Amino acid sequence: MINFSDLTFIFRFLPVFIVAFYLTPCKYRKVTLLLGSLLFYAVGDLKMFPVLLGAVIINFLFSRALKGGGSKFLLGFAICLDVLMLVEFKLLGQFVDSTLIPIGVSFFTFKMISFQIDNYRGKVSADAGFVDVAAYFTMFPQIVSGPIMRYEDYAKNPFLVRNSADAEENFAQEQTQDQQSETSVDNEGKEKDEILDLDTKEGMDKLENKHEIFSKIFSHIEDGLRFFVLGLGLKVLLADHLAMLWNDIGTIGYESISTPLAWLGAVCYSMQLYFDFWGYSLMAAGIGVMLGFPFITNFDQPYSSKNVSEFYRRWHATLGSWFRDYIYFPMGGSRKGSFRTVLNLLTVWLITGFWHGVTLNFIIWGLSIFVIILCERFILSKCPKFINAIFGRINVLVLIPLTWVVFAISNGNMLLDYFKRLFPFWGEGVSVNQGDFIKNIEIYGIILGFGLVLLIPQVYRFFEKHRKNPVFTIGLLVLFWACIYSLSNAAGNPFMYFKF
Amino acid sequence: MKLLKTCPILIGIVVVTIALTAASYALEDTTYAEYKDEVDPANLPHFVLVFKGLTDGIYPWSNLGDQYLADAGNMDGADNQNPDGASALGSGDGADATQIVDGESATAGDKTAMIDISGNSISGNSISGNSISGNSVSGNDADRTYEFQPVDEDYFTDALFIGDSRTVGLSEYCEPLDSRATFYAKVSLTIYGVMDKDFIKDGESKTSIAKALSERQFGKIYIMLGLNEIGTGTPESFAEEYGKVIARIRELQPDAIIYIQGIMHVTANKSDHDKYFTNDNINKRNEALSLLADNKTVFYMDMNEAVDDENGNLLKELSFDDVHLKASSYERWYQFLLGHGIVRD
Repeated sequence: MINFSDLTFIFRFLPVFIVAFYLTPCKYRKVTLLLGSLLFYAVGDLKMFPVLLGAVIINFLFSRALKGGGSKFLLGFAICLDVLMLVEFKLLGQFVDSTLIPIGVSFFTFKMISFQIDNYRGKVSADAGFVDVAAYFTMFPQIVSGPIMRYEDYAKNPFLVRNSADAEENFAQEQTQDQQSETSVDNEGKEKDEILDLDTKEGMDKLENKHEIFSKIFSHIEDGLRFFVLGLGLKVLLADHLAMLWNDIGTIGYESISTPLAWLGAVCYSMQLYFDFWGYSLMAAGIGVMLGFPFITNFDQPYSSKNVSEFYRRWHATLGSWFRDYIYFPMGGSRKGSFRTVLNLLTVWLITGFWHGVTLNFIIWGLSIFVIILCERFILSKCPKFINAIFGRINVLVLIPLTWVVFAISNGNMLLDYFKRLFPFWGEGVSVNQGDFIKNIEIYGIILGFGLVLLIPQVYRFFEKHRKNPVFTIGLLVLFWACIYSLSNAAGNPFMYFKF
Repeated sequence: MKLLKTCPILIGIVVVTIALTAASYALEDTTYAEYKDEVDPANLPHFVLVFKGLTDGIYPWSNLGDQYLADAGNMDGADNQNPDGASALGSGDGADATQIVDGESATAGDKTAMIDISGNSISGNSISGNSISGNSVSGNDADRTYEFQPVDEDYFTDALFIGDSRTVGLSEYCEPLDSRATFYAKVSLTIYGVMDKDFIKDGESKTSIAKALSERQFGKIYIMLGLNEIGTGTPESFAEEYGKVIARIRELQPDAIIYIQGIMHVTANKSDHDKYFTNDNINKRNEALSLLADNKTVFYMDMNEAVDDENGNLLKELSFDDVHLKASSYERWYQFLLGHGIVRD
């Protein structure tokens, strides 16, 4: 259920939660969000549930002591605790037992660190109580794989607390101040009272106001759904099928693939990763929108970037901006001379590599991006403009897929085998079938074609702009049911994805 | 109306969900009866049944007309539960598989008769054999058994390989074999309906094994099937179906040597963590398969000795996905085949 592309999540948890969320009086919705999120996590990873709870409580206590400033030492201590927790579980998960790594630990720890620093810098409103903070840390749309939303975005939700849209709510509360019973702020309860009041002008206003709120809620749900369905489509219909090609390549054995297939594999894996994560991020952002949060952009057409530095501002943008705001800038960024800039970049990319995984290939991956960015910054930028432009694009479209191959293969020898096939002058393959490229293009060509089309930035921009057009509405409905069809056939049937 | 304007997608999803769920509940014991076991309503929405049916070309309205027929059929084939299950798990040819099962359920009682055919009584020698074609050598040797012996590469020139993805892999990554032998292999192929699925490329169109075998004679026929259907039926019901297939092949190919290849193992990693794909299950089925051999014209061979570790699991370095051999490992299978030929002199 912990996966958004899971039928139980789509047809049970999500609708029930959204109904419960909006039936809850505004004031208590954060409690619903917290409880729902805890339930979501507990179902997905009961064993490590206490770790999440402990981390939430400890971070909340520290944030109390550090509200709007305070001891820098204490802030450092709190951050160190979070970092140690992350490192410890990553190592445990890698070297002891993979079930010892709490789901989403990389993401919620980063959220906690950003919260501590924002809180210290006075960016967190003074009245943020435990439920607010805990709901922000654990909120189910983001706990598994981000996006790493900031607290200030959490606080922008008009359906949660203190805001203009809920003036009516506040008004109602004022009116019923003297009544202590909970029903006084209950939407249902109020509706009953108001029906009797419709003759008065005040009553009419209230009713209109309520209609406005309802239609606002429904238009949020609908818009969130649009992004959710698109994300679901990218993940289920594109990424999951591209994953089968990447898996087939593994089955053949990297030492035995032809060079064209090796390159096709690099492209395929790059697209799989992109559509999987972009799709997931769209689903997560969509659920956020359904609940009233602002749309969080995590992927902004990265493959249309002019160079690798730009690529990583557009790829997993919430992680990139996290590194920028909490590591790169505090270390001085690029303002303290070339040497410090290089050092800061190195730090950022080493940590980025480690954050993605503790095996050597992730460190190599991080370092290779560091090297590319250095070249862009210190060599390419000094070349004539057109050379800069050409090589920048090559870096994005050729070098980035190669770095994803490093990212994908954690075994050093296998990685070496793969690169030997990419660049066959380094050695020969074993029992290579030269027809493998054509065979796989025949099978996966259509999906790859769709993927390539979606890499064109204008395609998504067009959707974004016209997404409320009836044609898109019908398209999205069809897309949704196509995904459900695909998921239904895989569900409960271990043989569907594993046909031999 | 205003709501429909505000959230058409939401309403579209809700309405379709309700309609599908209603259909699914209403037809769960009739149209979708065979999928019911597969879907646990505690874990999945009920309407998944409708989509499962859709994959097999069964629509909610498909069976409304011949409801009574279906009921009668169900009673008839009560003990055909397993093969039925196979059609549900199968790969989009559920309808086919069911038909075959139904068709044969009439003769199913007479199991021994079927196996006799695979022996020699009809096709072997007594009828078509000596008197007409004057096949004196094999005729005299009707009761002679043979043992495996090494053969050379050209032994496979008149050989046919039938199998699932593993045999597909053999054809793709064993050049000396691929250039000599014929392969009728397909990913996700199972013993159920293997003869009648149209998957063999024949110019522009596709044909079935049964048709292809009636048009061309082979000297040797190697079969390795059984992994995809390991979750359905019992070793006995599986071997029974296998026996029927061999009988049909024997009918079409009276002179071919038939090799039943035991199912190749999976790695320890797979075997220890999977509900179905365990080497224990594979061994049980292989044992049942080995009984189908008569060592005269039908032989059983187990290539696992060429790829197993000391615990009887597929060596992990030979496989990436714990199930298939890597391209470079097919050589072991080929070497095993070279060492295990039957030569009738």
